[in-house]
Amino acid sequence: MSNTPGSPTLHSNAAMAVELTGITKRFGAFVANDGIDLAVRRGEIRAIIGENGAGKTTLMNILFGLLQPDEGSIRLNGEEIVIADPSVAIKAGLGMVHQHFKLVPSLSVADNVFLGMEIRRHGLIDHAAQVERTRELSKRFGLQVDPTERVGLLSVGIEQRIEILKVLVRGARTIILDEPTAVLTPQESRELFQTLRSFVAEGMTVIFISHHLEEVMEVSDTVTVLRNGRKVATRPTAELSKDELVHMMVGREVSFDRRARASLHGDVVLEVKDLWARDDRLLPALRDASFTVRSGEVVGIAGVAGNGQTELAEVLSGLRPASHGGAWLKGRNLTALSPAAIRQAGLAHVPGDRMVRGVDRNASIAANTLMGRQHRAPWSRGGMLNWNAINQNAETLIKSFDIRARAAGDAVKRLSGGNIQKVVLAREFTNGADFLLIDQPTRGVDIGAQEAIHDEIMRQRAAGRAILLISVQLDELAALADRILVMFNGRIMGEVAGDDADEERIGMMMAGVAAPEFAAEIAS
Amino acid sequence: MKDHLRAVSGQVIAIGVALLMGAIIILMVGESPLRVFMTLLRGAFGDQEKIAGTLLQTTPILICGVAACIGLRGGMFNVGIEGQLFLGGFAAAWVGFAMPLPAGIHTLAALALAVVAGAAWVAIPAYFRARYNTNEVVSTILSNYVAVLLTSYFTIFLFKRPGGWSETPPILATSYLPEIFTFSRLNWGLVIGLVLAVGAALVFRYTKWGYGVTMVGSAPKFAEYGGVNVKRQGFLVLLLSGAVGGLAGGVETLGVHHRFMEGFAPGFGFDGLIAALLANGSPVATIFTALFFGALRNGSLLLEVDTSASREIITVIQALIILSVSAQVLVRKRGDSQAGERRWKF
Repeated sequence: MSNTPGSPTLHSNAAMAVELTGITKRFGAFVANDGIDLAVRRGEIRAIIGENGAGKTTLMNILFGLLQPDEGSIRLNGEEIVIADPSVAIKAGLGMVHQHFKLVPSLSVADNVFLGMEIRRHGLIDHAAQVERTRELSKRFGLQVDPTERVGLLSVGIEQRIEILKVLVRGARTIILDEPTAVLTPQESRELFQTLRSFVAEGMTVIFISHHLEEVMEVSDTVTVLRNGRKVATRPTAELSKDELVHMMVGREVSFDRRARASLHGDVVLEVKDLWARDDRLLPALRDASFTVRSGEVVGIAGVAGNGQTELAEVLSGLRPASHGGAWLKGRNLTALSPAAIRQAGLAHVPGDRMVRGVDRNASIAANTLMGRQHRAPWSRGGMLNWNAINQNAETLIKSFDIRARAAGDAVKRLSGGNIQKVVLAREFTNGADFLLIDQPTRGVDIGAQEAIHDEIMRQRAAGRAILLISVQLDELAALADRILVMFNGRIMGEVAGDDADEERIGMMMAGVAAPEFAAEIAS
Repeated sequence: MKDHLRAVSGQVIAIGVALLMGAIIILMVGESPLRVFMTLLRGAFGDQEKIAGTLLQTTPILICGVAACIGLRGGMFNVGIEGQLFLGGFAAAWVGFAMPLPAGIHTLAALALAVVAGAAWVAIPAYFRARYNTNEVVSTILSNYVAVLLTSYFTIFLFKRPGGWSETPPILATSYLPEIFTFSRLNWGLVIGLVLAVGAALVFRYTKWGYGVTMVGSAPKFAEYGGVNVKRQGFLVLLLSGAVGGLAGGVETLGVHHRFMEGFAPGFGFDGLIAALLANGSPVATIFTALFFGALRNGSLLLEVDTSASREIITVIQALIILSVSAQVLVRKRGDSQAGERRWKF
């Protein structure tokens, strides 16, 4: 289509890397994107922020050619283009790093990067050249990887770097990242931001989807806020405060302030003593942990992800053997019990990796709410399931936990991430357990749902449950926990009262500086 | 419900594509596809004897299919049903000719030993799977060869009937599975198969144990987290699958052949597995896919009489069905992928 000079809507602007005009996308009666305009300047970092289901991913999938818009047009570098499928987008210099990685674990890093576009020499793959080129790119953009290492042995953070390298060797000048920090530790996130800055320093453009306010404030030049499929605003980040951003996202104020509470600490429910455990590589991952959790108390575990929290949760739920020490739930030693027996002894567990451990994505909401209680009446009698009771209960849970689903028979995979987490919480919080082990309750969950989840945790505390809350988000711990234990390298480095949670002190401990009273013990 | 419709329509399309490719191959061998398909249809359903013959062929495929469904539900790929069928067939024959018992009880005793033989045969791969995480696909496939040759050994060296054939003495009439009609060897085995299929579906849906097994097959880490003993259920599911596989052999011996002979039921175990896969692991749907394969087998008998095509053409068509069903699974996986809805959805 030719440009009409003077008409503002059709005015071509070559300084714009991406221009989306009036994008509308419907799925049946549901409008995922409603007349969205988006213009991204070349050389900027643009954050697209919004709650789950606000239409962020749909919009990016349209830009990358994975979906076709029902209305609206796309221009890249001032030229109108129809992006029929991702190969068109790639040719036009777009690259997308998805939330879930698509790598071949048995191949090396370099082979993965060049998969499908191998460098050839005499008709054979030139591995040396691929390794060299990968190394050069990773140096240039601060993406530290060893090109010769096998992908199956690497951590998620490094896998993401490989995905970014894949996009780079395909010649992308505009890079789209979908929730890039969801899988990263704070340290890895910082390194990612460095990389993103080096991209724009070379004149490239970055668009990233997030609902993490902090990082949006930290790294982006401009923010576009989406809500319910519509664009709310596009503003320079420097002009915005966090409060304003939250307000635009959810349309109402949300606070992460400390929750009011009455002190009602009762008896010790969980006692952990000298507990050690090994990780999957059989290296010590949990070292000499000792603490107690009382009824009516929320004990928080802070720490950078991967410092023994996962292993602690797995030992307490019977999914991993302890190598030394013990954990007593109301007097029964958990380390000697099977997962089923621990549940019977009074554990409810909200697992950190909810998609794998927390639900069967293919099963219905009703079937998912049954897990762990299928041995008890009224859910089963004499080995026979009572689906009437199960379905009715699921309908009740859908209402009381505000799960956005049509019916108890809906497959869990049709729900959004926040609603899937609500299914897990609904199941675990209503099974009558005295001890709640809650791991990353709001990871990848939008702010509205976060607030509801926090409310629910406080209700459980008020009901006299003993709660161990593991989270990598400090503000979450500061809002909810009565005491915060900080873990580093498998050890508990110190304890901070929730009432005077001091970010700096906790940060020191998270970085490995033990509190004085703990340092002596660690040394001995 | 919508998911169900999508799954069913997918399978129908897969079969349609396979038949179309089959038609092209029939053209290449110089026959008319229409004539071949009509002959198949006539051979399978042309009159009441043909229909009974089709049902007779359907019976072992159905029982083996249910065996496969039980394994699939718990995430176990029992590819050893063929071997379990051979051992079950032999075990039933042994009870039939060596142990005089009153009628009725004799049949039940023979079927019971067939069940035990099938379960015992799969117990070895099942144990290694539970204890050492050995891939059950490989170990059950390999166990087929041992089973077939072992029963041959029993037949030829230990229990051979005097005369030229490699077969055991005939079983006593007291151990026969009663026939349903006078004009066909169709017997109560079909009823056993139907009851098993419906029973398996009900157990999976309405029992606590079935729920646990379903979760082990569909989301093992979730099941483990919820307190289901994943290894034990995997072991039990394979054992049960093998038991039903053995039963299929018993039914074949007591209902049809009335003796055990070498190569007595070729390929029923594999056909059953394919029928189960085509039915997406649903025992009730397996009734229909087993009927489809039974009709192909029975219809093919007329093929060489009435047309110039070889009956091997049905093997080709079966292979094409396997290909198109697997291809369809890949297509559907892709549609579900994180990349989002594709416009070329199947």
